[in-house]
Amino acid sequence: MFRPTLPKGFALAASVSLTAMAVALPAAADDPIRIGFAIAQSGWMANYDAEPFRGAIMRIEEINEAGGLLGRQIDYRVMDTRTDQQYAATVGQQMVAEGVDLLVVSCDYDMGAPAALAASQAGIMNISLCAGDPKMGVQGVGPHTFTANNSGQTEGIAMAEYATREMGIETVYILEDLSLEYHRSAVAGFRAAWLQDRDEDSILGRDTYMNDDPSIASQITRLRNLEPQPDSIYMCSVMPGGGSAIRQIRAAGIDLPILGCTAMVDNYWLSAVPGLSDFWLPGFMSIYGDDPREEIHAFLAAYEERWGEAPGSSYLINGYSMIEAYELAVTRAESVDAPAVTTAMEAFTDEEFLAGPSTYTPELHILLNRPYLMMNVEDDSFRAVELYRPTLIPDMQLLFRIGQ
Amino acid sequence: MRNFMQVMVDAVALGSLLALVALAIGLVFGVMRLINFAQGDYITIGAYALVVPTASLTPALFIGALPVPLMVAGVLMVVVLLALATERVAFRPLRNSDPATLLISSFAVSYFLQHLVMLLHTGRPKSVGIGQALTTPIEILGLRVPGIQVVTMAVTAALLIALVLFLKRTPMGIQMRAAAENFQMARLLGVPANRVIAVAFVISGLLGGTVSLLLIVQTGTLDIRMGLMPVIFAFFATVIGGMGSLAGAALGGFLVGVASVLLQSYLPEGLRPFRDAFVFGLVIVILLVRPKGLIVIGAARERV
Repeated sequence: MFRPTLPKGFALAASVSLTAMAVALPAAADDPIRIGFAIAQSGWMANYDAEPFRGAIMRIEEINEAGGLLGRQIDYRVMDTRTDQQYAATVGQQMVAEGVDLLVVSCDYDMGAPAALAASQAGIMNISLCAGDPKMGVQGVGPHTFTANNSGQTEGIAMAEYATREMGIETVYILEDLSLEYHRSAVAGFRAAWLQDRDEDSILGRDTYMNDDPSIASQITRLRNLEPQPDSIYMCSVMPGGGSAIRQIRAAGIDLPILGCTAMVDNYWLSAVPGLSDFWLPGFMSIYGDDPREEIHAFLAAYEERWGEAPGSSYLINGYSMIEAYELAVTRAESVDAPAVTTAMEAFTDEEFLAGPSTYTPELHILLNRPYLMMNVEDDSFRAVELYRPTLIPDMQLLFRIGQ
Repeated sequence: MRNFMQVMVDAVALGSLLALVALAIGLVFGVMRLINFAQGDYITIGAYALVVPTASLTPALFIGALPVPLMVAGVLMVVVLLALATERVAFRPLRNSDPATLLISSFAVSYFLQHLVMLLHTGRPKSVGIGQALTTPIEILGLRVPGIQVVTMAVTAALLIALVLFLKRTPMGIQMRAAAENFQMARLLGVPANRVIAVAFVISGLLGGTVSLLLIVQTGTLDIRMGLMPVIFAFFATVIGGMGSLAGAALGGFLVGVASVLLQSYLPEGLRPFRDAFVFGLVIVILLVRPKGLIVIGAARERV
């Protein structure tokens, strides 16, 4: 999830973090490793931050039980950014000033970057739970910034390749929600991957809407009057507009397969569209007991034991694997110093984490082809279909959407 | 031709919804010179009343679990009581202040209500499945119209007629028109100010609750900002319709909705993302041509 406005409080973040650098003292070798979470525990972003945070805690506790990282225990603390960019910057600065070895930030470039900047300016390692924007990395926030998720483009690529190669879909109609840059990135990836196997004419049309439009009736009328009718609809959106749009499409009697993106994963919104079927998207994992990977079942059992309830969001796994990645990098670097950890992470090549194989490079601190669990909704519930690894690796032009 | 008919149905359906919101704003403005931005939060709270207040992402139904007639009555009652409470607590003490103070006060009420919803339900969008039967398409003259569009148009027409009859035929309606024309004079002639204003808020609550239900059946989703866009559009609708004129407010609502749908339907693809810019551009043009709005009432004219 990401949007590319320049984070406010940039100058403030820079100035405060310089002070922080001056007062942060080097930690002794047997002191605990300190991880700060500057994430949203309230507001809409909490939908995407709360569960990955729990996943991260689970991995931290596993590490501590096994004797710690480099023989040191991990201490963590969390502060609520309230889904507020200004406040996120303040929280980030405060945590940096108090001294952390790793700052974990929100699952979104816009919401996560203000806090990440504070860490970055102070030369501290920082990782976003699941931002989908490559600017959460060297080219944007800073050299010690990573994100533990695929790029937004990769989501679109996975969906397009799966539709053309595995589902046999020939034509598509694209409905684009203009409210987030994340949607545009996914659509850009979808188009690029679609055109690998199909020609431009197979994209039968395109339309746009805003997430807060109370009605998309005119978009639906245009779609319904297409001759010939498409095989499928591609739409990338988030709640509430996403659920509303799908409800209106189905209410108009359009039963075409709908291809979506990852932000619409999980059952919590399905009551908006009772009886929904034939809705597809690339997901992270299934929290409904049918994930094809055995280790996921064990993970879900451990989750229920730790938190006393079933998880509500499969974004959860990103937090767990984010700590796995940090653990591996620190172990290899034999240090928690940001430059050493960064170098170790940049050397990751298909490292096996719970969420799947992960690769970073010195240029790109974002994942580009971690496999997705393709999921579909049949009769009011998401089901796992199969794992799919996208083949098209987005180039810099597509990642930064240059000329698009 | 069939396509054009379909577009017109879409346009009139959205126009109807906005007309209801605009009427509520216009009615309160008429008697009190208050532009009530909290009208959007009435809509939001009416919708949220359908589910149990909880932090859960999948809340159980509350008023929404009742049989349809009780559910409709329940939502309307919640919104009417809310409208009356805001009038009593926030607006009545300021009644003699100038319109700017009232406007600011309505912003404060709006933010307060928004945060109240956030406190009770969290800020996360939720979904609610109400009125499934209305989401199936109906065949009318070869057009496939979603049931909710037909219901929206029918409900709007019925409410408009009821409101006109109320204003023209009942003593309270006549007093309300008198108050809208000249509040001081009406009071001097024995029109009870408190009651007239309270009734205006009751009607704005009824309209708000109706819009809540229509929106929820259409979108199936709850969001703390769900009332915002309709109210902004409706506010512009009341301005182009002519501030203080109820017919103007309804007409303005229709026009803004219709214009929005027509632009979405007929703008070339590259310009469609800027649809709202064109809608508001149109508002500016109308105001340049008719600064007092389309329908000018006597009270709005300067008197020397």
